Parts: sequence; structure tokens; C-alpha cells
Amino acid sequence: MPRRTGRGPVDPRLLSHARATRFFLGAGVAAGTATAALVIVQARVLAGAISTAAAGMRRDALIMPLALLTLVLLGRAALTWLTTWLAHRSAAAVKSQLRHDVMAATLQTPGRTPSASLVTLMTQGLDGLDGYYAKYLPQLVLAVTVPLFVGISILLADWSSALIIAVTVPLIPLFMAMVGWTTEARVRRRYRYQTRLARHFADLVAGLPTLQVFGRAKAQAEGLRRTEDANRTETLGTLRISFLSALVLELLSTLSVAIVAVTVGTRLVYFGIDFRTALYVLILAPEVYLPIRQVGVHYHDSADGVAAAEAAFVEIDRLRAPSGGTQLTDGPVVVEGITHRYGDVVALPPTSFTVSPGEVVALSGPSGSGKSTLLGALLGFLVPTGGAVTVGGVGPAEAGGREWRRRFAYVPQQPGLVAGTVADNVRLGAPEADDAEVREVLAAAGAPDLELEHPVGDEAEGLSAGERRRVGIARALLRIRRGAHVLVLDEPTAGLDADSESVVVETLRASGASAVIVSHRAAVLAAADRVVRIGADA
Amino acid sequence: MRSPWQRLVSDLLRAVPRGRLLLAASVALAAAASGASVALLGVSAWLISKAAEHPGFLELSVAAVGVRFFGISRGVLRYTERLVGHDLALRMQSALRLRTYTTLARTTLLGRRHGDLLVRMVADVEAVQDVVVRVVLPFASAVVVMAGTFLMLARFSLGSAAVLLATAVVAGLLLPAWAQRVSREADAASVPLRGELADLVRQTSLVAVDLVAYDADIAALARLDDLDARLRAAERRATAVRAWAAAGQVVAAGTAVVAALWIGGAAVASGDLAPRLLAVLVLTPLALHEVLGGLAQAAQTLTRAQAALGRVVEVLDAVPVGRGDAPLGEASEQPSVQVRELSIGWPGSPAVVSGISFELHPGESIAVVGPSGAGKTTLAATVLGLIPPVAGEVATTGRVGYLAQDAHLFATTVAENVRIGNKDASGAQVAAALEQAGLPLDADRVVGELGATLSGGEARRLALSRLFVGSYDVLVLDEPTEHLDAPTADALLDDLWTRAGRRALLVITHDERVVARCDTVVRLGAALAPR
Repeated sequence: MPRRTGRGPVDPRLLSHARATRFFLGAGVAAGTATAALVIVQARVLAGAISTAAAGMRRDALIMPLALLTLVLLGRAALTWLTTWLAHRSAAAVKSQLRHDVMAATLQTPGRTPSASLVTLMTQGLDGLDGYYAKYLPQLVLAVTVPLFVGISILLADWSSALIIAVTVPLIPLFMAMVGWTTEARVRRRYRYQTRLARHFADLVAGLPTLQVFGRAKAQAEGLRRTEDANRTETLGTLRISFLSALVLELLSTLSVAIVAVTVGTRLVYFGIDFRTALYVLILAPEVYLPIRQVGVHYHDSADGVAAAEAAFVEIDRLRAPSGGTQLTDGPVVVEGITHRYGDVVALPPTSFTVSPGEVVALSGPSGSGKSTLLGALLGFLVPTGGAVTVGGVGPAEAGGREWRRRFAYVPQQPGLVAGTVADNVRLGAPEADDAEVREVLAAAGAPDLELEHPVGDEAEGLSAGERRRVGIARALLRIRRGAHVLVLDEPTAGLDADSESVVVETLRASGASAVIVSHRAAVLAAADRVVRIGADA
Repeated sequence: MRSPWQRLVSDLLRAVPRGRLLLAASVALAAAASGASVALLGVSAWLISKAAEHPGFLELSVAAVGVRFFGISRGVLRYTERLVGHDLALRMQSALRLRTYTTLARTTLLGRRHGDLLVRMVADVEAVQDVVVRVVLPFASAVVVMAGTFLMLARFSLGSAAVLLATAVVAGLLLPAWAQRVSREADAASVPLRGELADLVRQTSLVAVDLVAYDADIAALARLDDLDARLRAAERRATAVRAWAAAGQVVAAGTAVVAALWIGGAAVASGDLAPRLLAVLVLTPLALHEVLGGLAQAAQTLTRAQAALGRVVEVLDAVPVGRGDAPLGEASEQPSVQVRELSIGWPGSPAVVSGISFELHPGESIAVVGPSGAGKTTLAATVLGLIPPVAGEVATTGRVGYLAQDAHLFATTVAENVRIGNKDASGAQVAAALEQAGLPLDADRVVGELGATLSGGEARRLALSRLFVGSYDVLVLDEPTEHLDAPTADALLDDLWTRAGRRALLVITHDERVVARCDTVVRLGAALAPR
């Protein structure tokens, strides 16, 4: 499918990432240029050998040229091997770099991108870059160097053929640009409509279980047939226009070769050129246009990869250089006039409170009032647009995320569990904890009967929602034992009994640690030392 | 014995009106386009060789016209071929989409692990386009051009033409086939690694907050880098195969040229070949082998397409489960559900739970609880009439509707989404249903993938309005509070219970707040067999 990214031929950021792979790209271009040199030699040898043989010379005279030709061809085969290999290496290096960076960005600011899009981006998406780095980028350079070299060698042999080529080659980008300008708006308009039609099938299939429940699935087949017909008509309309550029490219290049051939032939009749030179020009002429045509071919191949790379950059742009280094001192957590907005949307109205050691603070407020945003800022996952969170005058940026979070033991609404065992998950932040200690915190979290070796599958499969929550709490308690000062409890999504959490809060008080608890339940609010209402006037 | 994907492709070709004709036309056009570029160089070589004999200009004019003709026709033919080929490919894709859709629509999907299946289906079906445009047409036309070139050159020099044909078969058929076979082995090694990568990314992203909060992020990143390195090594092996195939094609082309020069040179020396034909004999192989260059890539495309179409065939050949569409009951003043000694399970599988009995009367609510895997959704599917009971009896009075926790929002207006519940509903009825579901949304607003997304609570209320607009009076609610935050869930439950009226509610849940609101609790036993 044609796709327009609306950018120039080269995205500067993709080029800057090419730094990781500069050697491979450079070597690829060198190999391509060397191939062009061999093509020139091959043409010269061939022209010589054919004219010799056509003159009826004995076979012995052919042995030297044939030996040379064989060497040249073996050289070209070796270069072909090398070019393919280098192309892969350059793409692989960039892909690995981008994968690493995207994952690092995801871990630095978690929860921003749906995991399904992330999976698509990291697998098929980035694979699309193969075409970009392996073919398109080197070809872009070769499209300049090879025609230049080949053109010069034709010029040295026969200047009038070189003139024809020099006139026609610039016509190619000119006509391509003209076709592009005149068709771009139409292609884009059609493409939008066509994309909508094309998605209809995906939408229907994804909605099949829903349609079946309402007894409507079979009836939609007729509608699908109609959309498919419209889709085909529209797609063909788009293709009719977008294939035009390829048509122009082919027409110009083959017609130019034809003109060179006819002109050379005519001059040959009137002794304007000798047979050997005429053959030489004929063999070389297509080689001028070939790399230019290849750019067009690979441009379409690479469009998917460029789109994926842009998606990757959206992720990577969030990546901040690790900051900090300032040691945190003991002291209360001070939240001062903290507020956050996404564009014009206020995600969190200004909020202030202090959590002193040993104190339990409850946060309450209606759905969407910004409780999750506040927790994000508290844990250093996001930088609020206004206000500050500090401990002893030092904020997350000065301390560094890792040092800052050492203070906190966080239990999200639905604790995320890694595949493995219950013990693996409790030990997530303290791999050195022994079995006895893991059992102790599990018991304190209200799950004394949970087996340490109980398997935990994908998405916490094998545990009930309540058990999952308790493993999350046990994990947090272990972290408190390792020196965290503040337990951060987000209200669970599914309604679990609040009693066990009250027990947790009581044991916590005994340890001298403090807690920030998001809840809207009266019992929890009543048990807290202080209730901060978010969304109320601060 | 044809493989499944070959059978599928030829089935589709028959299903498309004039499919075979379109295929023949595309192959002919593709062959003519490739043939034109071979002919361009061949005729040009002849023209120059003839010109070297300094004939009268008229003797060259036919060749000169031929050169220009082939120069123009290649582009035009290629353009036409691409359009005809894509037309055929799109028709076949439409046919396959329809076939896939109707097959899936016939089998009950509720409660099966279908997420991946459905998403993958959409992408897999597109592989049929690749098979037509990137595999069948290039190979079929290449074979025609090979044969045509052989026949033309064989008239002048059988030996040289035979060598050309042999090298063309090596470069165009054997090497691509070898590359496909060997790289399939390399791919087989990388496919599980790709699966692992996808799993790792998904899992890491799902638990990213926890990993960071507990300092486990560095280890996660190291796992990714390690997996990436292994994947790169596997891909490197596949690349080596591709590189050897490409190098082999260059050697084959070179062999053809060298042989033509050697055989042709001898023929000219012995007077068996007119000197002006030697250039034709030597240069034509160059053009032919250029046509074959892309075929190694085509063979690898086939590998991927084969796997995708194989999965599609699996779905098409699967025996349908249940009845697909739920039966539409008549609305009733006295909606009820009576379940006696019921055993439930998927058709063809053993019962998951047995001995379920309960009675649900108008205005009542029953909570069905039990550990995950205990068959709660299977019970819903049985009560809805999507699958038959394994044993025992289900009797329902009234129209049974289902509120899924992940009901699909179609990429269209709010009104059209509501009308899933009743396709003939008037604008006023749609507005009333939205009002009843507590969702004050503009009915003309576009939602789903194309429009603004709704929050979890809004989406669930939109799904609820479908039940209201369709006069459903027995409501099966599947985890109605799942994934909602506590205040949103409470508000939804309040509205559900106050607005249900005389409707009967069967609530599948593990949420204790929901259980507390129900009149009766039915506990399903532990799972007998994990599905």
C-alpha cells in the first residue's frame, strides 16, 4: 500500500540514529560504488570481446578477455554478498538501539503507551526499518555516485551520448516532483477514505463476539460485501494515481536508453563512432538509470519503517538523561501547590499537604480528579507542570529517580506481577530476601497460606484478584523493611475487603513508617490521621 | 498433493468472477513487460551490430522503431500489469475476507480466548495479496520470459541458448527455492524468539510501574537486550542465506554471458553465426538475469505468506462450535431463568461444572461467583443459548441480553453503536436508551478507533444502552465493575440496580461489592480442567 509520511526523503532523526551504524552504511556505499566500477570494467571488457569475436578472430584471442570477465563477475558476486550482509548489519544495529531506547523510555515513564501498540512497534514496526537502512539509505547515496561515475566514463568514451544522458537524467526528478505535486492531494484524500473502508473488516471481526450476542453477526455479511466492493474500487483508484510515478520513472529511463541506442546506431552507419565504443555505451547506458529507479522502489518499501521509527521517536523523546546525585535526608514528604495539566486540560488542581514520619494520610476525591496523577508525581514518574514534591528540601530531579523512589513502597490499584512464582514477585525489589522473610511479609499482608512456589502466569494468572493484591502489599512491606519510609496504597479497582488493608495500616504504624492511601471508603478515611480532598479548594 | 495454501488460492481464484481470465491477463502483461526489457537490449544490440556493417539507413529503420517501441511499452505494460494484478489480488482478498467472516460468524466466540486469533486473522488474510502480486505473477511471468528468450536465441545458437536457459533456471527457480528452504529453517529459529520478544515487551510494559517502583527495571532492560542479541544472531543466519543466493544469481548471470561469448565467438569464427548476432547472444542474458534478480525476495515472501494462509485455512476448516448468533427471544412481562441440574461445557469438551440449579424471577438478581476458570462465562454462553447444555435444562422466558466487560465499540457514531441492540430503533428510542443508561452523549458523535475514545465507565454504559434499546429483560452482566475505578464502579452499580426495574439480573462477578447487592449467590465449583 502506498503511504505518505509527509516528510522529505530523509528524516534527520533517522539519519542521526544512523550514527550507530555509520561504519556499516559507509561500507555499504563503498561496496555499491565498487560494484559500479566493476560494472564499468565489465562493459569495457565485454565490448572489446564482442567486437573482437564479431570480427571473426580466433578463439585464442578471447581467452584473456574471458578470464578478465570471469574475475570481474566473481568480484561482483563477492560484492553482492558483502552488500547484502552490510545492509543487514546496519539495519540490525539501529533496530537494537531503538528497541533498547524505547524500552528504557517505557520504564522511565511507565504506562503511557498501550502495551499492544508497544508490542507491534517493537516487533513488526521496527522490522520495517530493514528496508530503510538496508536499502533506501545506501541507495540514496548510490543514486548520486553511480550515475556520476558511469556518466563520466561514458563521457570519456563518447561525449554526445553522455550529453543525451545528462539531459534526460535531471528530467527524472523533475517529472517525479511534478507527478507528486499534482497527485499528492488526490492520493491523500482517497487514501484516508480507503483506510476507513479497509478498517471496516478489522472492526467487524474484532466486534464479532459482541455482534453474536445480539444475534447480528450473520446479517453483517451483506454489509461487508458492499464495503469490500467499495474498498476495491477506491483502492484501485488510488493505485491508478500512485503507480503513475513508477510509470514516469520507467518510461523516462527506458526511453532514454532507447534514444541512446538509436542515436549511436545511426552514427555508427556514418562512421561517427566505432563499433566497440557503441557497444560500450549501449551496455553502460542502463546502468546510469538503474540506481535512480531503485530509489523509487525502495522508497515504498521503507515507508512502513519510517512510520514505525516516528512512533519510536515519540516514545524515546520522553527519555530524560538521568539526573540527581543529591542524597536525601530524613524528613517529612512535602507536597506544595502541586498541579498538572495536559495542554488545556487540568489533570490535577493545585494540591498541598505534608506527610510526617509515622503519619497516615488519606487522599479522596471523585473519579478523574487527579489522584493517579498525584501519585505519579509523588513517585517521580511524571514532572508536574506546577508546584513541587520534596523531602528535606530535595525533589526527585535533584535526588535522581532511583534514589527518590528508595523512600517509597508503592502498591498500585492492580499490582503488576511478573511471570514466575509468588516468591519471585515478593522479592522483586529485594532479590536477596530469604524464604522466611518472604513468608513473614506475606503473613503480614494477610496471605499466610499462599505457597511461595505457587506459579504466577501471564497477567497474574493463577492468583485471584485478592491474592494478587496481597502479594503486592507483601512486596511493599518487604521494601519498608529495606528502608523505605512511605507506603503508597492506591485503592484497588475490584472491591476487595478493606479489612485486611486496615490491618496492614495498623502494623505499619507500629513500624514508624508513614502512608499515603487513596480511597473513597468511609472506614479507611476514618482510620487516617488526616484526609486530603483533591478537587476541593486547596 | 497440493498444500493447504495452494488449495485456498485456487479456491479463491474460482470464487472470483472471471478470476482465471484476470490471472492469465496479468501473467501475460507481466511477461510482456519483462519481455520488453529483454527485447530492448536484444534489439538494440542487433541494431548496433547491423549498423557496424554500414548498411543503408532504411535497413535499420525497423530495428530503430523496435527499440523505441520496446522502450515505451515496458513502462506502459508494467503499469497495466500492476493494475490488473492488484485488481485480481483485491478481489481474492475480498472473497477471503467474506469467507473468513462468515465462518467465524457461525462459531460461538464468547468466552473463548479469541483476542489474538481475531487480530491475527485480519493481518493473515492480507497475505493473499502478497501471494498473487509478489509471488505468483513474478514467477509465472519469469517462466514465460525464460522460455520465450530461449526460443528466440535457440534459432541462432542452440548451445548458447541452452546454457542461458540452464543458468536462468538456476538463478530464477533453483536458487530462490533453495533460499526459501534454508531460510525457512533459519526463520523457524527466529519465530519463537520473536514470540518471546513480543511477550517480554508486553509483560514488561504491563508491569512497568511495578518494575520501576521496585528497582527491577535495569534487570528487565538487560533481559530485553539479551533477547535482542539472540534474535539478531538468528536473523544473521537468515541473511547469510539471502546473501549467498544473491551472489549465486550473479555467478549464474556471469556464466551465461561468458558461455555465450565462448560459444558464439567460436560460431562466428567458423562461419556458423552471422557476426551481427553475436552481440545479441551475449547481451540478452544480462537483461534476462536482471528480470530474475527479484525472485529470491519473492520466494521469501512466499514463506511468510504460506504461514499466514496456513493459519487462515486452520480457522476456515475448524468445526463450528455452538450456533454463532444468539437466538432472539420474545420480550416478556415475566422474565425468568430456570436452571435445573445443569452441566455446562464447550461442545466436544467434557463438562466444566455440573449440578447447577437456580431460579431467577422478575426483579431479582443472582450473583454467580467462583474462581477463574470455573466456567462462569461458559454458563453465560449456555444461558444465552449460544451453546447447548451438556446435560440438564435451561429454560428462559423473555429476551436474554449480555453486558460484556469488553463489549466492542464499532468505529461509527454513538447512535449506530446503540442500534446494535435494535437495528430499527428510532432516534428518539436511541436517545431514551442513552438517557436510561446514564450516558448523556451526542448520538452523532463518532467513537471507536476513528473518533474520540470513551472512558471505561462510558464504554460500559454505551454497551448497557444497547440492552435497553433492544428491550432485553433478562440481563447477564459479566464482571460489570472490572477495570473500573471504585467511584465509577459504584455509580454504575447504583444506576444498574435502580433502573433495572422488573428485569432479571444474572451477574457473573468476583467483586464483593457486586455480590453484596444481589439477592442470591450461586457458587460454581473449582475448575476441573483448565481450558
